Amino acid sequence: MEEDKVDVANKVAELAVDSSDSATGETISKNALKKEAKKKKLEEERLRKEEEKKKKAAAKPKEQAQKPLAGDDEDLDPTQYFENRIKSLASVKAAGVNPYPHKFDVKMTISEYIEQYQSLSDGEHLKDVKVKLSGRVMNKRSSSLKLYFYDLYGGGVKVQVMADARDYDLDEAEFSRLHSGVKRGDIVGICGYPGKSKRGELSIFPKSFLVLSPCLHMMPRQKAGTATENASAKKSEGVWIPGMTRNPETYVLKDQETRYRQRYLDLMLNNEVRQIFKTRSRIISYIRRFLDNLDFLEVETPMMNMIAGGAAAKPFVTYHNELNMKLFMRIAPELYLKELVVGGLDRVYEIGKQFRNEGIDLTHNPEFTTCEFYMAFADYNDLMEITEQMLSGMVKELTGGYKVKYHANGVDKDPIEIDFTPPFRRLEMIQGLETMANLDIPKDLSSDAANKYLVDACAKFDVKCPPPQTTARLLDKLVGHFLEETCVNPTFIINHPEIMSPLAKWHRSKPGLTERFELFVNKREVCNAYTELNDPVVQRERFAEQLKDRQSGDDEAMPLDETFCTALEYGLPPTGGWGLGIDRLTMLFTDSQNIKEVLLFPAMKPQDDLPVKANEAAQ
Amino acid sequence: MDAVRLWRATSGPFRLLMFHSAPSWSASTGVAALRTARTSRDARIRCCSSNVAAPASAAPAASGAPDRRRGKSASTSDRDSIRAIRLKKVEELRSKGHEPYAYKWDRSHTTQHIQDLYSYLGNGEECKEVFVSISGRVVARRQFGKLAFLTLRDDSGIIQLYCEKESLQDDQFEHLKAFVDVGDIVGASGSIKKTEKGELSIHVKSFAILTKSLLPLPDKYHGLTDIDKRYRQRYIDMIANPEVANVFRVRAKIVSEVRKTMESLGFIEVETPVLQGAAGGAEARPFVTYHNSLGRDLFLRIATELHLKRMLVGGLEKIYEIGRIFRNEGISTRHNPEFTTIELYEAYSDYQSMMNMAEEIVTRCAQVIHGKLNIEYQGTEICLERPWRRETMHNLVKEHTGINFTDFGDDVEAAKEAAIKALGIGSEDKDSLFIQTCPSVGHVLNEVFELVVEPNLVQPTFVLDYPVEISPLAKPHRRHSGLTERFELFICGRELANAFSELTDPMDQRARLEEQVKQHNEKRAAINPPKDLSEEKEKDADDDAYEVTLDEDFITSLEYGMPPASGMGLGIDRLVMLLTNSASIRDVIAFPVLKIQQ
Repeated sequence: MEEDKVDVANKVAELAVDSSDSATGETISKNALKKEAKKKKLEEERLRKEEEKKKKAAAKPKEQAQKPLAGDDEDLDPTQYFENRIKSLASVKAAGVNPYPHKFDVKMTISEYIEQYQSLSDGEHLKDVKVKLSGRVMNKRSSSLKLYFYDLYGGGVKVQVMADARDYDLDEAEFSRLHSGVKRGDIVGICGYPGKSKRGELSIFPKSFLVLSPCLHMMPRQKAGTATENASAKKSEGVWIPGMTRNPETYVLKDQETRYRQRYLDLMLNNEVRQIFKTRSRIISYIRRFLDNLDFLEVETPMMNMIAGGAAAKPFVTYHNELNMKLFMRIAPELYLKELVVGGLDRVYEIGKQFRNEGIDLTHNPEFTTCEFYMAFADYNDLMEITEQMLSGMVKELTGGYKVKYHANGVDKDPIEIDFTPPFRRLEMIQGLETMANLDIPKDLSSDAANKYLVDACAKFDVKCPPPQTTARLLDKLVGHFLEETCVNPTFIINHPEIMSPLAKWHRSKPGLTERFELFVNKREVCNAYTELNDPVVQRERFAEQLKDRQSGDDEAMPLDETFCTALEYGLPPTGGWGLGIDRLTMLFTDSQNIKEVLLFPAMKPQDDLPVKANEAAQ
Repeated sequence: MDAVRLWRATSGPFRLLMFHSAPSWSASTGVAALRTARTSRDARIRCCSSNVAAPASAAPAASGAPDRRRGKSASTSDRDSIRAIRLKKVEELRSKGHEPYAYKWDRSHTTQHIQDLYSYLGNGEECKEVFVSISGRVVARRQFGKLAFLTLRDDSGIIQLYCEKESLQDDQFEHLKAFVDVGDIVGASGSIKKTEKGELSIHVKSFAILTKSLLPLPDKYHGLTDIDKRYRQRYIDMIANPEVANVFRVRAKIVSEVRKTMESLGFIEVETPVLQGAAGGAEARPFVTYHNSLGRDLFLRIATELHLKRMLVGGLEKIYEIGRIFRNEGISTRHNPEFTTIELYEAYSDYQSMMNMAEEIVTRCAQVIHGKLNIEYQGTEICLERPWRRETMHNLVKEHTGINFTDFGDDVEAAKEAAIKALGIGSEDKDSLFIQTCPSVGHVLNEVFELVVEPNLVQPTFVLDYPVEISPLAKPHRRHSGLTERFELFICGRELANAFSELTDPMDQRARLEEQVKQHNEKRAAINPPKDLSEEKEKDADDDAYEVTLDEDFITSLEYGMPPASGMGLGIDRLVMLLTNSASIRDVIAFPVLKIQQ
């Protein structure tokens, strides 16, 4: 009996997606298969999009005629598919069965299962062991009405399910009715025993099988059998680690719009995506641990303010009805955090969202996450060392080394390697600019002469600076053109001019400059830090300068925050302050060229067919 | 009303400030003006928009805007004169080649560290061979001829600086006498000495002013008791009342412990959007904003629920988010427009397991903070020993009122009648009017529960099985029709957590959300139109004059199948209030939202 079953199992195991036999499985028509797979994929892509549209319609009162339930309806039109499933659901409910059971007592995760039973020898079955697993069915195959195979996914890993009628207490008709009702995408709970096929594929052999949550839509297909498919399947099963390259072009679900708008599908179908968000979570928890170990205190400051201070950016505006006041979403937590240092919390940090009412592009999302910390009695030299320690330590922990691979020039070009081995290069801003562009910028940067000189320099090098052409903005453009372009490996650009840094302290030995640095990696700013300006008189003067810039049309110049200036008058100790863009850092470590890759729900343009207003739908 | 309460709260302490001076403090400053400066009131506050807009040059003048309620115009000029004197010191220091705003100071120890290491010294004993370096704020000073004592406070605690003329280099003692004021941040180094009186001190060999303060600190002994100012200028509050800073240290510990708990159970932390196309997951008035480049209105999230559930669909089986939630509602001792919650979701669990989770989180935090489970909150002993009481809403209402709501079936009118009778209120009573508007028996039950039962749930209690009408996202109860598998956790009469077995059926979910929208719109329509409304009513109408939309995309995600799961939201601010014995949410939020000050 046992022998028999194993035989059957082996026969049909060839039907199963089994990565171990991919080499023998395809001999003659590898290319043809590939082509067909591609064609099929495209077709499905089209169908899926159609389905998207029709789904909305389907949500409204049904007017379609009934269709008989097909046994295997993967060829159906997605709308039809959806409606069929709704109907079968309704009939189940009508029969008094809840298609959404309350609880399935899972005893073990799939990865625990694999760990525990991976060592079974080929063909071994532990019939006395009872295991309960659950997960999502991502593949279904059957060789007869008595035997079904499933790929069950959970926690990013997969196990094969081999449902044999002979393991069940049910009669064969019921067994096949049960299993013909299970669709790809369904979440199921399985009670069974562990075993391995003769080919060495670890499986679970169900004694009972329960659909916990049906998937009503046709799931974009994960195709089996081609070499590339297996390669990416292999890769997706946990091999990808931070610092390695990625290619979303090879994903099962490729369409960017769908991936970002329906992130749950992206997570279901593209296993690497899961790893990206785990990496993001690990980055944040690394930073927390790092700062906690230095006795920093995590705090929370308001996201809604009377003034949007601490940075230069357009804020979001909202309104508190009962208090009858206008509020701005914060653009930086800086000023509040410094007030807490005034209050005696010597080392504070906050990891949280900032909001800027700006355009959306590859590196900008209206809300983004930063970490800012403030450390009393430290200066920007200390902070550069801390930055080196933190980032190199993080890369080491995430990747095992100091180097990460990154497709800086697009996925079709070879990736570059970014080396986080400390110490990082340091580049004087003004001096560097003068050397690289062969300039001799007037020392008094607030003078008209300096402004004129920089306007000319921009013209000479064809560096565009849209008005208002303030000296700060001109410098920023030139630095972007000449210096930032050279900063592929982590590089500190240091000692910014006072006019560019209203909250940074004047340099202790270099007039006109501040004790500030920005860390650039792959030509993008990742950190910004300075010895904090704590002289209230000078701070007021700097705000006044900003006001001038505002008046000359730079609406991103910083507004005066009187409360903050008052706080400084009570005495802010010498303090180093530091900010890091978490999204951009995550992009670097996950080979992401688009910020949307590292945000679970990035801001998207409104779709043509906006969600139907509920009150309309309710009628 | 609020203003009156505020006035009462502040007027008492204010009198105290007038008559009690702190001799050691004012005598040592050497600035006569300081004596009255204690009564100064800083009228420049965060929420005062007219002042914040003032250009920098006009700032000193603007700062003098007197507080009309107290009519103390004199204090402002005192404050200004102190400021002027200290600004002069800044100049003098610079002219002598000392930068009054130093760049950095290398600390070898914190004050607490020194207290721990050298407390064993006997009175009068000195450790001449050690050399330590510390920094912090001068909070008090006394001076006797060639001897000066400064009390220095840093993040960890306080220590005395023992400054002897002959131990200090050059003219540093004169420098100290002339330039150091209470409030300045200084660095000092020297050896360790316990004075004859038993005070552990730094025997200072050299010191430096690191940051010159320009404004006087509030009274040392009575601290800052002006409640309004405490919230508006939290940093002064923290300088004057070190225990305030402690609340935020404890808060950080609690949040960190919650995270540790989640991580130890295999949960992953995620971030979902604050700005959303439709604000769902709860019933509350959202904040609206406008995104310029997208050209559309966006709402600030009122819950993280719907996006976290999408992650369950996506196969992340244990997730949580600790984050800010925004509700455009009134402020009170329990409500701030932005507040912090943790929401967590676990696949294949149900609300029973979430109750254990709630117990786990709260008790772990209590253990970390108090080292015990019997804690005191506002004079009441709270016992957090597990297990906590679990009782259904129906039974609790029956227990407190004698009404068995299961008797009413669908008969709303009968339920209303019984409720109003049991509450013993007249038909014109506010609560009575509110009950009259309840659209279902479930709503009436909830109303009675909130009025009668809630305030009595002092010891931790899980209230189970809420009516389906008021629980649009919870799964129907597996045994009792009309109810859901939902609980709320109450401690000290306050809701601390809300959890349910999640509704996974997309059809049911759609129907429930549509019903919610319908009810909201009916309410809106009912209070809205006729123009002859009293102001009161207009305000009510305004309260509901926001639009509720259905998050279609969320329902689509459910159609792809969400595993059976349960989820919980727990208010972090309220948890911190409980564990820090704080009466108001404003005590646990560093910068609470306050009314605009006139």
